[in-house]
Amino acid sequence: MSLSSLLRISIVLLAGLSAGACATRPPATNPDAVAAYEEANDPLEPFNRAMFRTDQALDKALVRPAVKTYRFIVPDGGRRSAGNFLRNLRSPITLVHDVLQGQPNRAGITISRFFVNTFIGVLGLFDVGEEIGLPYHAEDFGQTLAVWGIGDGPFIYVPLFGPSTMRDGTGFGIDAFFVDPLAWYSRGNGAETWIQWAVLGGTYINLKDETMYATDELKASSIDYYASLRSAYRQIRASEIRNGAPPPMEDFDEFSSTFETPVLAAQAASEMPQTPLTSEH
Amino acid sequence: MISRRHLLALCPSLLIAPRMSFAQAAEPGPFVSEFAQKGIVEILAAKIANAEKQTRFRAMFTNYFDLPAIGRFVLGRYTRTVKPEEMNSFSPLFEDVIVYTWSRRFSEYNGQTLKVGASTPDGDDGAIVKSTIVGNAGESFAVDWRLRKRPDGWKIVDVIVAGVSMAITYRQEYTTLIAQQGGFSGLLAQLQKQVGELKAAQPA
Repeated sequence: MSLSSLLRISIVLLAGLSAGACATRPPATNPDAVAAYEEANDPLEPFNRAMFRTDQALDKALVRPAVKTYRFIVPDGGRRSAGNFLRNLRSPITLVHDVLQGQPNRAGITISRFFVNTFIGVLGLFDVGEEIGLPYHAEDFGQTLAVWGIGDGPFIYVPLFGPSTMRDGTGFGIDAFFVDPLAWYSRGNGAETWIQWAVLGGTYINLKDETMYATDELKASSIDYYASLRSAYRQIRASEIRNGAPPPMEDFDEFSSTFETPVLAAQAASEMPQTPLTSEH
Repeated sequence: MISRRHLLALCPSLLIAPRMSFAQAAEPGPFVSEFAQKGIVEILAAKIANAEKQTRFRAMFTNYFDLPAIGRFVLGRYTRTVKPEEMNSFSPLFEDVIVYTWSRRFSEYNGQTLKVGASTPDGDDGAIVKSTIVGNAGESFAVDWRLRKRPDGWKIVDVIVAGVSMAITYRQEYTTLIAQQGGFSGLLAQLQKQVGELKAAQPA
């Protein structure tokens, strides 16, 4: 990375901080804007957008070249095996959260997959479990908190780390440093700290490699990439929390039907100014 | 051997045939299969120019999707306050955005197939059909289709890819843009610009 791009990044960072980090809540006289503001749940939006621009600059300068190099060195099959290996290594975290969410069947699948993939799938390089009817799933502390009824909280955007929320970001930290047995192992034995960092680094490159096509598509198809990314992130998390069930979308029929439908007609009528009764007397 | 009279008897049905191809499957699962099959045979795998693919896709898309309903959902609360003439300028732009977004990638089609799974009831007289897109290297991802029954048959109202709903994503982006641009006309201007960019990005 050149000095000038570093400089640009720090200017963007400073600009974001000094611009006043908080989004202004729209006035109550504009209920549509208030509803949009609450749905986005992004009170730090100006700051987050500055972080997002920093992230995009770092993505271009560092992450993309790293992923390209990785793709150049490691062929398709090798990258798939690396992904399988890292997913298998993460099984203990998923298991802990299967249990914390009261899902014994899914915990059973996680254990079976771990043994099948470790011993038959050559230390997890091959996903044998998938082929014998043990589909992959991942759980984390953020999802467990959600199942326990804790909302996702304000949106946050961290350069390099990407989109998250207060709940999910906290959950990630706890998983990476306290739940993951590798973290225990690498801290218990001073000389092996690198293992945890190597796994985190590998997981990161693997994640970027797997998601780059999708995020590029989202970027190309949206006007406001930040807003689309925020929406997509929340939807993916909600889908993971529902364990893959489709989103409920209760208000689809209310909004998508025409004004002729009884519900909206009644609503429109109730919003019309009433003639004062006194005039009739 | 078919006699001349039999052939003549077939004529009325031949005349109706182009319209019959629009008569769609009566059940949600087969309806989604029909859409995917038609899309693969007549557009994705067809040996025709990209412009022709676009034309065919637009016709098929407006037939199989309830685009006006999606548009109203995407505008959400604003649907109630938007003027009819603003809605009239929004609808064709929104259609263009989706058509050109999808058609940009037609040339990347590489033998993927759609495996239709279970269907469950959803909302007012609707259904959700689960499916999987399977690539030729065995890679797969989940796509759910949200359907509604309309007087003229089933219509698709949302596509959910790996947990991300097309309708919800557009809705959250557009409501953010309306707030940011200080009104509906700001959104229209942005859409116009985007349609221009997407058109320029189409493969020859």
